[in-house]
Amino acid sequence: MSAELALLIALGAPAAQTLLVLALARPPGLRDAVHVGMTLLTALACASLLSAAAHGEAVRLVLARPLPNVDLAFHVEPLGALMAAVLSGLGVLHALHTAGYARATHEKAPARQMAFIALANAATMAVAFSANLFTFFVAYQGLILAVFPLVAHRGDEDSRKAARAFLATLLTASVGLLLPAMVWTYAITSALEFQPGGVLAGRVDALTANVLLVLYVLGLAMAAMPPLHRWLAATSVADSPALVTIQALAVLPAGAIGLLKIAAYVFGPALHSESMDDATLASRGLILLAGVGMGGAALIALSRQDVRERLAYSAMAQILAVAIGVLLALPAGLFAAALQVVAFSCASATLLMAVGTTVAVTTRERVADYSGLGRIMPWTFAGFAVASASMIGLPPFAGAWSKLWLITASTGAGLVWAAGLVALAAILTFAHLGPLAVSALAGRAPTDAFKRPDGASILLAAPVVLGALATLALLLFADPLASYLAPMWTPRS
Amino acid sequence: MSGYLELARLHAPVLTLLALLAGAALAFVSPSRRLAWVLGIAASIAAAVFSVDAALRVLVWGDAPIGAVEGLALRADGVSLFGAAALNTAGALVAITAGAFIAEASSRTGPYVMALLLCVVAGWSGALFASDALGVFAGAEIAWLASVAMVALSAERGALNGALRMLIAGGVGAALFLLGAALLWRAIGSTDVFYLSAALIRAPGLAASGVGLMLAGLALKAGAAPLNFWLGAAMGRASGPAVLALGVLGMLGGVFVIVRFAAHAAPAPALGAGVSAVLAALGAASVVIGSVQAVGARNLRRLAAYACVAQCGVALLCAALGSPAGFAAALVQAFATLAAMLALFTGAAIGVGGARSLDALDGMGRRAPLAGVAITASAISLMGAPLTLGFLGRWRLVEAGVGAGWWWAAGAVIVTSLAGVFFGGRLIERLYFRRAVATQEAGAGAWGIAGAPAMISAIAAICLGFAPTLLLRAADAATAFVAGGGP
Repeated sequence: MSAELALLIALGAPAAQTLLVLALARPPGLRDAVHVGMTLLTALACASLLSAAAHGEAVRLVLARPLPNVDLAFHVEPLGALMAAVLSGLGVLHALHTAGYARATHEKAPARQMAFIALANAATMAVAFSANLFTFFVAYQGLILAVFPLVAHRGDEDSRKAARAFLATLLTASVGLLLPAMVWTYAITSALEFQPGGVLAGRVDALTANVLLVLYVLGLAMAAMPPLHRWLAATSVADSPALVTIQALAVLPAGAIGLLKIAAYVFGPALHSESMDDATLASRGLILLAGVGMGGAALIALSRQDVRERLAYSAMAQILAVAIGVLLALPAGLFAAALQVVAFSCASATLLMAVGTTVAVTTRERVADYSGLGRIMPWTFAGFAVASASMIGLPPFAGAWSKLWLITASTGAGLVWAAGLVALAAILTFAHLGPLAVSALAGRAPTDAFKRPDGASILLAAPVVLGALATLALLLFADPLASYLAPMWTPRS
Repeated sequence: MSGYLELARLHAPVLTLLALLAGAALAFVSPSRRLAWVLGIAASIAAAVFSVDAALRVLVWGDAPIGAVEGLALRADGVSLFGAAALNTAGALVAITAGAFIAEASSRTGPYVMALLLCVVAGWSGALFASDALGVFAGAEIAWLASVAMVALSAERGALNGALRMLIAGGVGAALFLLGAALLWRAIGSTDVFYLSAALIRAPGLAASGVGLMLAGLALKAGAAPLNFWLGAAMGRASGPAVLALGVLGMLGGVFVIVRFAAHAAPAPALGAGVSAVLAALGAASVVIGSVQAVGARNLRRLAAYACVAQCGVALLCAALGSPAGFAAALVQAFATLAAMLALFTGAAIGVGGARSLDALDGMGRRAPLAGVAITASAISLMGAPLTLGFLGRWRLVEAGVGAGWWWAAGAVIVTSLAGVFFGGRLIERLYFRRAVATQEAGAGAWGIAGAPAMISAIAAICLGFAPTLLLRAADAATAFVAGGGP
């Protein structure tokens, strides 16, 4: 498969999947086969692109020129290819789990749900492979509109309210902050292309760089930077498949990818340099905000008794770690941020799928009701425990590597307090996830656990186990990933 | 034969007007509603063909110029060709959609409504082609009085209040325009639009005041804030065809005429600053007031009308820049607004018939999916989402504004988009995420093809944003023809 074709498939297959799933809604077997098959095709295309990026192949796809001098274009570079490969790979597990969840819960409109999950995947792929700020903005807006129906899918007042909060926060931030930042960048540079070394490097004064950084970081409300984070907890009322898409596979990762791309390809040295014509002041302020937000989110998670709400705050704490890594503006920080996105996506998808499995077969959603469930659902809760350990950052799980790099980068930048905040958030994450996993595995088994007499189907249990295995496998990839991502912070000669 | 065809094409402006006025006369004397509707469609399509052909030949292909003197003081320039093509195409689509309402109207008023609709298009087209300020006045008055009559013909008594307010507003607007024309004549000795840029101005202050008053008179009829006190009353209770004529054709027709007039006046050193100040004030007020009114509206038609005010405000801001890039941006923005409003009003006409409350949209996405798609496309364009015409128009303003150091214009764009997010999001939420609480009126009596314009305009609002080369080329050529003194 040529790289151009693979890129076309990676972007087009999820979009085609949306239509196919709706068109072939019955029989359910065909619908599920199409959903899983097309997701697998996307993942294969992304794996091929990962290899192409590793070999330094330059692939660019221009769909249109909607503005003078600005293309709607996609290209393959290491960061985007890595994120797309990880997210689409996890997407296959999620597709299997969604099929199992729809069957177990007798979901009323599974085809619609799957269609919007596919559409969200398409937008996420477009975010990952976007070649310039305009394309990124288009894909980002598309992702908001694709996920909105997923949040409102249940159709009750709670989910509609959550969907409104989601749409209002993300669209307002993107139009009110991200768009002006993009326009400003265009006014300064007459270009919107992502390029290693940053389009702004050497072209902005300190004031402009600081203001632009604040606009970009807060405008990317998908990254849940306070005070634009409320949508994340609000959307925890959504169904389990939607939650996996929002927190693990599309929305939060897209926000993180946006932060990484903007730091590496828009700012570059303009984020932090020796000449002081940089955004040091804003980046330090935002690191403090993210660090305090991390700790606060982990602390709030501790107080939440609804598992999905607890995981939403936990996810917020994790994604803010990405923001800290990005804002440190060091290669080590960027690498820590990229590794954190990968580790977080694997762990979060596993956790949320485990919670979905539990809801589907036991209808239990409260923390107190999880005690002993691991004894009757051992595979699901083994996966839950592995993913929790990675989220906490326990060595030797993947999350530990990213946290370690983050602490190293923080101290390397002279920000010992930032390292302290990261460590504090890890301890608080241990406090809200550790006891939950331990009590599920070691507690007394409940006698009335299953709503479904036959327990969890293979479609519900296997993705959790495979997700946990992916989390474990990441242990082996820290070093190869560091060299693979090196072009991200190395300007082209 | 080809000689006659070329002669006809050379006189496209007068043929456009003749087709519309002849169609109006025939519709007026037509014995049945359906015949009047068919005649109206035929006449408006003929006018659209003449005007689009002229615009394509001159602005896109750079062919032969359009005849200048018709004995009727008509003279086409780039902006008038662009505006007339857009307006007459919209007129044809509105005429088709009017079938959704005329089918349910009484057989006595149906033909009158169709005739008046054609007069609205003819009036604004005439104002666009007029070479003299008094011609502009006559065209705008014909269009305005026809609109007033359409509102007055609505079945509800409350509509008469709207018609009365329009009549008063129209009188004020006419007085302002005529006073301005008199001052201009006194200052430069002529009211010829084409003479403005090169005129020897004896009294610059007087001339600038005159142009400012004329622009204010036109802005009142275009619904620009804060001169739009008539809009809520007129749109709130009027019949469907009157809403279409006012909301789609009236407001945008007025904006095209303002842009054309400003494009001729702005190059004159004594007038440029005044024109810019008047348009900037009207544009900024329209953006802010229109956005606030749209966010707070509970009546679907008022929401659409106020959204249109905000969008037209962006076009006025573009024109206020006074540069060819600014006028080109104004044309693109006006075109984008026209497409979005057409999709919104025609989609609503087909989807909810004569219903006015926003509740009528609840669950419409399932009940009338195509109309739902049209309203969604419009809402997305009004938000200024990328890859829509709405985004293109605003981007051009920001590009031209930043180039001229008008950073606050970018702020106005953000305000419009943020407001668009709120009211556009509200429309989409009602369409797809609410269940209908009562049996909704759904344009059940609409005649066959009445729904087609909604889809055509929705496709235009999205597809032209994706591939805008032709539109941008035409807008650039239109302003270049004005800058060069006409084709």
